Amino acid sequence: MDLRRCGVVFAAVLSCALVFGAINTGLAQQRRSEIAQSLPSTNLSSEKQIDPSLPAPAPGFARARVADNPQAPEAKPVGEKTCVACHQLEADHFTHTLHALGLHVANRSDPSIPVCETCHGAGSAHAQNPQGKGLIIAYTKNGGTPIDVQTKTCLTCHAGGPRDHWSGSVHQRNGLSCSDCHNPMAKFSVEGSMAKQSINDTCAQCHKDIRLQFNRRSHMPLPEGQMSCDDCHNPHGSLSNGSSLTSFPLAKTNTVNETCYQCHAEKRGPFLFEHAPVRESCLNCHSPHGSNQNTLLVAPIPFLCQQCHTQQRHPNDLHTPNSLMTGKNPDERIMGRGCLTCHANIHGSNAPAGSKFHE
Amino acid sequence: MSTSAHPRPSSPLTPGFSALSSCVPEQKRDSRFRLSEEQKQNRWIPAFAGMATMMLFSTAWADSGIGVDTWRGNKLDPTAGQASEACDARGTTWLAPLQRRSPTGNLYDCPNEAPLAHEIGEWLYYGVLQVGYIGTGDQGVAAWNRYADWRSDKAILSLLDAHFERPSDGSYVDVRASRISDEDQYYQAVFGKAGAYKVQAFVRDMPNILSTDARSIWNGVGTNNLTLPSSLTPGGSTPAQVAAASAAAPTMTLGVKRSKQGLSASTYLTPEWTAYVNLSDEQRKGTRPYGGPFFFAFAFEGPPFNLNDGGVNETIKPINDSTININGGLRYAGPEWRFDFSYTGSFYRDKYTSYNYQSPFKLTALPVIPGAIAAPLYQGQMSTEPDNNYHNFQATATRKIPWNGEISISASGGRMSQDDALIAPINCQGVFGIGLGNLQLGPQNPMLYDCNKWNTTDALSRKTADMRIDTSMFDARIVLQPTPQWTLRGDVKYDRQDYRNIYLAYNPLTGQYGYPSENGTQGSIVPGESGIWDPRTDPSALTRVRSLPLDIQTIDANFGADWKFSDKNTLSATLDYNRYEPSNRERSQIDASSVKLTWVNRSLDWLTLRVNYTYLKQTGNTYNFDPYEFTWSSSMPGYVPPATGTPAHTVDAMRKYDMSSRDENKIDVMATVMPRDDMTVSASVRGDWNSYDARIGRQAYDTVGATVQWEWQFATRSSISAYAAWDRSRLGLSNVQDQANGTGADPTLGGSNYALNGQWWATDAQRDWYGGFTLNHDIGRVRLDVNWNYLYSRGLTDYTYAGPTALAHLVGNEGPGPGGGAFPNMIYRVNSITIGATVPFSERVSLRLFDYYERGRINDWHYLGFDQGLVVGNRVYTDAGPQSYKQNLIGLLVNMKL
Repeated sequence: MDLRRCGVVFAAVLSCALVFGAINTGLAQQRRSEIAQSLPSTNLSSEKQIDPSLPAPAPGFARARVADNPQAPEAKPVGEKTCVACHQLEADHFTHTLHALGLHVANRSDPSIPVCETCHGAGSAHAQNPQGKGLIIAYTKNGGTPIDVQTKTCLTCHAGGPRDHWSGSVHQRNGLSCSDCHNPMAKFSVEGSMAKQSINDTCAQCHKDIRLQFNRRSHMPLPEGQMSCDDCHNPHGSLSNGSSLTSFPLAKTNTVNETCYQCHAEKRGPFLFEHAPVRESCLNCHSPHGSNQNTLLVAPIPFLCQQCHTQQRHPNDLHTPNSLMTGKNPDERIMGRGCLTCHANIHGSNAPAGSKFHE
Repeated sequence: MSTSAHPRPSSPLTPGFSALSSCVPEQKRDSRFRLSEEQKQNRWIPAFAGMATMMLFSTAWADSGIGVDTWRGNKLDPTAGQASEACDARGTTWLAPLQRRSPTGNLYDCPNEAPLAHEIGEWLYYGVLQVGYIGTGDQGVAAWNRYADWRSDKAILSLLDAHFERPSDGSYVDVRASRISDEDQYYQAVFGKAGAYKVQAFVRDMPNILSTDARSIWNGVGTNNLTLPSSLTPGGSTPAQVAAASAAAPTMTLGVKRSKQGLSASTYLTPEWTAYVNLSDEQRKGTRPYGGPFFFAFAFEGPPFNLNDGGVNETIKPINDSTININGGLRYAGPEWRFDFSYTGSFYRDKYTSYNYQSPFKLTALPVIPGAIAAPLYQGQMSTEPDNNYHNFQATATRKIPWNGEISISASGGRMSQDDALIAPINCQGVFGIGLGNLQLGPQNPMLYDCNKWNTTDALSRKTADMRIDTSMFDARIVLQPTPQWTLRGDVKYDRQDYRNIYLAYNPLTGQYGYPSENGTQGSIVPGESGIWDPRTDPSALTRVRSLPLDIQTIDANFGADWKFSDKNTLSATLDYNRYEPSNRERSQIDASSVKLTWVNRSLDWLTLRVNYTYLKQTGNTYNFDPYEFTWSSSMPGYVPPATGTPAHTVDAMRKYDMSSRDENKIDVMATVMPRDDMTVSASVRGDWNSYDARIGRQAYDTVGATVQWEWQFATRSSISAYAAWDRSRLGLSNVQDQANGTGADPTLGGSNYALNGQWWATDAQRDWYGGFTLNHDIGRVRLDVNWNYLYSRGLTDYTYAGPTALAHLVGNEGPGPGGGAFPNMIYRVNSITIGATVPFSERVSLRLFDYYERGRINDWHYLGFDQGLVVGNRVYTDAGPQSYKQNLIGLLVNMKL
């Protein structure tokens, strides 16, 4: 490990932490006597007023209000204490989440900001009839809350940014709810409030076939935990619908190649001499989720190349096992790297003598 | 399957890899953008200081909307620590004994046990430290070692995960780290305040092992100058001498290590405005097998020449580069409006502009001209990727509109450019080409060229690349929900890439066009094939003289509607039209129209069903099978066609598959079935059938597959799951052998040059069978986990041909005549099992013992026979190909709650 590199990075974080922390230190000391480790107050009777000595709620939670539940329009907020009376175990798990940390602070600063009811809606109808489906906003299969109510509730706080194009996205059209992928009620993943242990495991709930392709001979380091589906796809929707030769579904960037360049910047060029299908889309030759060929290729070389190249002389010959090293006519066009042994700069060449990617 | 639930072994990087990774180059590129190693090391200090300053004013971090680095784990634990967490025996709720289900119907996992938190003043903290020892009898096999580094018998930091939070104001700090070795490790720290800001930094190293059975005949591996050992004579060695040198060379590991560090921050400026910035720098160092052409060997080994000629060198490319990525932006989310303004930049720097290599093989001029003598070439060069810059700005505005709708407009503009110093066309000394009786330059030797007129950048029409692509995008979309039952969608997108500049291969020193082909070797072996066009002395030479600009414009429009015809049934239809307009391609316009139908059914409590079907038809304007004429010397004034006519570049019936007309039918069915409250069965069936309108080229590409997985959470802390899957792909293509050995002017399929008896067909069929099983169960105090995964892939490439002229080599055992034959099966079979037990010793300390066994079998016919030697004729290979393996890893980890 390069200790210098590590040290520089963490020194940077520490300095940032000190800067941000200093901003909050004074406020934190003012509240010290107020903490008291008590549960937040109930909103049942609005008995508590805003304490002006407390800092304002963090901006991310400042607009949190009781969620609108169309199926229980008459319900009234009951406050977290009431919820916890029955849902103690859920509260135990929820306490260790980022949502809980932020909402509890906000609730102390402004009692009109609910905790449980920010996401689940007013609880009085549910408290009176716990078995009544839909009386509380539920994020489960048979909870009785329509999917669009679920997603709308989450988007109340999480609108915009990565979720800007949720409406009309392939996942929205297929009736997915936020809670199909996320479960903020407990810590099921180290990041992202995922429903499963990782982003990849979460996606694999439905896309098992894609996940299994990553077990093939050549693959990107997704099974090894070094990257996630989210590095290439935005599951919340994107500008790409995948109908173009240069795009793919839920692409995180405007084109296929832009996505690939995020980690393979050396392929960006533009090169002095370009290979047309490469500039068009990496997917012309590569199968990004895994391949049994070398380097994610769609088909074995030279047949991959011979789908397009029938130029005279050497490109258009039919090779048979006789061309292998064990055959009677070992031939460099098919052995080892095949075509790429000579046309090595197949992604483009910056050599003035590299028009055929030899140099 | 959940591979993340159990540690999986990876394999060690050999000491050779580490050594290669740190090789010091002997030559450095001449680029004004290049940073020295010291500069690269030091640049992070000001960079991070600058970033820290920026974060005071801005914010953001990698998210699902922009950038990468969304996850950091390793092969030991891809879940980055979650797999080590114990399940809460109390379950999720007191109100029901079982886990709840997601809206689709998947069972949620069991929540973690509550952490044992401590107090330090206002702060609470908890965490876990997992250290231990792993032992593996590593065989040095690349397939086992990819993306991981588990050296034999060593101590590891499996996981450090510490969390601090201050409940009074929502501040928190997270530190997470794992270290397997110098090549395989990550460290990250996060500091933030819930709902206010977040700062994150990370350091990550990842290996990518490419070969562990390579043998190099070259010295200087890892640098940009590959030289031959004293036992070989550059340009003068026999295949036997090269084979001996190869056999004597030690095996080595080729691979690339990625080292990355990043810093990101995001903050709320107001409840509506947020800002973010992400910066990262990544270095790649190492080596990989690459090419080194000194012209064909195959063409001369048989009659009539019977020569060991040409030279095929699988060289070793040095990798030593860095990339800085930056993105940042502002976002606004208000009750009516939303805005998103972002910038993305990327700056790639390669330490090398090129690398040189010596070729050991002797060249011989073909005896087709009396007295022909080949120039004694022995050195070649390979350019590396140029430094490049990228900038992109994007803005999106979204507004809520009546009918419960939204309208959104996005626009972006970007530029990717590079202006790397160009290398000379050749790096030879003396002469290249063919002499007649001697190698003296002069009019008596019109096929002999002076290296000094080509081995300098003065021989270029310009000295830097000066290439650029400007990009622009505009998108407008609208979504309306006039009634709860109906949603209407529409979207128009325009995307364009404008290629700026073109390169003309002109040598002002000689007044000639083109380039020395294959390091000058082609013209030194075959008379008249130097690759150089001279309108005065060789006006009929056919060679490339121009680069190929590839402008692209895409217009896409789609309209769709979703009809919720009952509370739990939705039908959707989407019509899409896409016009793709590439320049200098076989078609200037490609039109793709598609209809997509979706049905989502939730009407049954025990089932969620999703069905998607797409029909797509791609057509286009007239297909020009040879749009590249303008890049050849035949387009130049002064070009004189040969007496037999200018050779055709390709056959007229070729339809390249991206440009070809195509019909596609695609179906995807997903079902989530809940047979019991504690059980889930998920199944999917999919198919994608593509038919191409091509007599020559890709004709069909079909994929079908099915998957089923079963999960049973039979107790709060116990679960069992299994899966099975199968898929198949079939790619069919046709090609045709030419008859005139490169001189035929007739491009017609069925004509004199591309005669029908030279046509052939090949089919590549891939089949995969998958299976797996997972068990997590408590036996007394001991927690048992078992995980088995199996994959068997079999690829079969077979062929038929119209007549023997289709064959590269007519030997007689290609297969039963035109009936064809097949290559050996391409096999990849991996069987792995993990058995682990976790024993708690106290509330805070537990011990995990696990054993991981994996057996991999790989058979790739490209490398058949390579185990017998890496030299055959005038060819020398470096990588011996993938290896089968059996590997066992045992690990002992102590888990301590902090």
